[in-house]
Amino acid sequence: MLWTIAGTSLRETGRRRAALILVIVLPLAFYAARSDMQGQAIRFLALGVGWAVATLALFSHVGARHLDRRLAVVGASPTALLLGRQLALVGMGLALAAGYFGLVAATQDVNRLWAVGLLLGTTVLIAAPLGAVVSLVLPRELEGALALLAVMATQMIADPEGALAKALPLWSTRELTGYAVDPVGSDHLRDGLAHFAVVALLCACAAWIAAVVRLQPQKLPEPRSA
Amino acid sequence: MSGARWHESLARLLVERGVAPGEARRLAEDSRDEARAAGVDPAELFGPAAAYAAGMARAARPAPLAALTRTRGPVVLRLTKVVKRYRRREVLRGVDLTLRAGEVAAVVGANGSGKSTLLDICAGAAKATSGLVERAASIGYAPQQHGVAPYLTPEEHFRLFGAVHGMGSRRAVATGTHLAAGLGWRPRAGAVAARLSGGTQQKLNVVLGELNRPELILLDEPYQGFDQDSYLDLWTQVYAWRDAGAGVLVVTHLLHDLDRVDHVLELKGTEDR
Repeated sequence: MLWTIAGTSLRETGRRRAALILVIVLPLAFYAARSDMQGQAIRFLALGVGWAVATLALFSHVGARHLDRRLAVVGASPTALLLGRQLALVGMGLALAAGYFGLVAATQDVNRLWAVGLLLGTTVLIAAPLGAVVSLVLPRELEGALALLAVMATQMIADPEGALAKALPLWSTRELTGYAVDPVGSDHLRDGLAHFAVVALLCACAAWIAAVVRLQPQKLPEPRSA
Repeated sequence: MSGARWHESLARLLVERGVAPGEARRLAEDSRDEARAAGVDPAELFGPAAAYAAGMARAARPAPLAALTRTRGPVVLRLTKVVKRYRRREVLRGVDLTLRAGEVAAVVGANGSGKSTLLDICAGAAKATSGLVERAASIGYAPQQHGVAPYLTPEEHFRLFGAVHGMGSRRAVATGTHLAAGLGWRPRAGAVAARLSGGTQQKLNVVLGELNRPELILLDEPYQGFDQDSYLDLWTQVYAWRDAGAGVLVVTHLLHDLDRVDHVLELKGTEDR
């Protein structure tokens, strides 16, 4: 069932051509806007990938809300429904990240190129469940999109050393960008991966709890024989 | 419309209405021969192709199996003093119903009387504020709105719902296509639900509700967008499910088909408190 849900979710999203083009173009626009500064360009590229994937996840989960409720009522597990859609989104996100990794490799001379792949991958792994959490807590497109806008815009402008930036979900992206671009020690890698692990776990758990609460049908007893 | 185009149109419309392509071609050829023999334009002899196709499709459809001897089985749904309240507003007050396998119940009432809420409670999609809901485990559920995914084709819907019911992909598609033919519809490959007419989307919604041959089928105003033939086909299906041993609960606001149902539950709606 999991793979069928993931497959249908991929097809559904794949048919929204205009949305897919925008998902691809958004990180490119961020990257091109700061291409003169390597660190900034890669950080903004990664945040663009994260924003695009989180928005895709938000709209995918919101659009499937009614159908998922129907499927849950007739026997689908809310966990399988969430995981199936997340598998599709992570797959698309990683494909997008791989494309942009290729672009960075072709256009920049990065100190630790492999770390760029790592930071793009970790950003996708946070963004997909983050979009799901927002969609399950704010189950309307406009409210969800505004919430994501607030999170991502704050992430971009907050002082990276301040407590606010560290409390936001993609602080690890900034830390890993520093490790990839600058001649710094492995503490940036360690801190970035630790932050990623905590945030990814929190987002995944929150998305799972919200999915179960929203989709789990009432347990109804079978009729007593009359 | 020229004679040739009329016949092409007839064959296409017959296929769309669930007639097998070979049979549709044969019927169109028969009509062409008849019009030629009469020496008149087919539109003049038979009228508009769409109307003629509707009648022919109905006649060409395989006759339903002879009615089974109806036996009422065990209780598949029992509602006991079910109440639903949204804050201060009481939507359902003390609803009682016992539905057995092999019976049809119609839930009627004005707009806002709580029909869809009751169906959601029976499905388990909403919780009753008080009262007892007992229900068979295997259900089919066709909600009034948002029952299908706009960017999936009918075949993909069949596979998805089939996977939930533990059916293989091929069996799910074959079952879905067969059930669709009973409603006078042959799903076209590659056409996503958003491109289907409202009535055809509703047929898909109904087919998904019965894909797993459930013990209890819950339908919320399933005929919206149906033409007259499809509407009659739906009620024929409802009684076929009943005769095959399913319990069927139909939410409706049309009162002229209630003489054959076993139970009519009228919801009055309640005032704000």
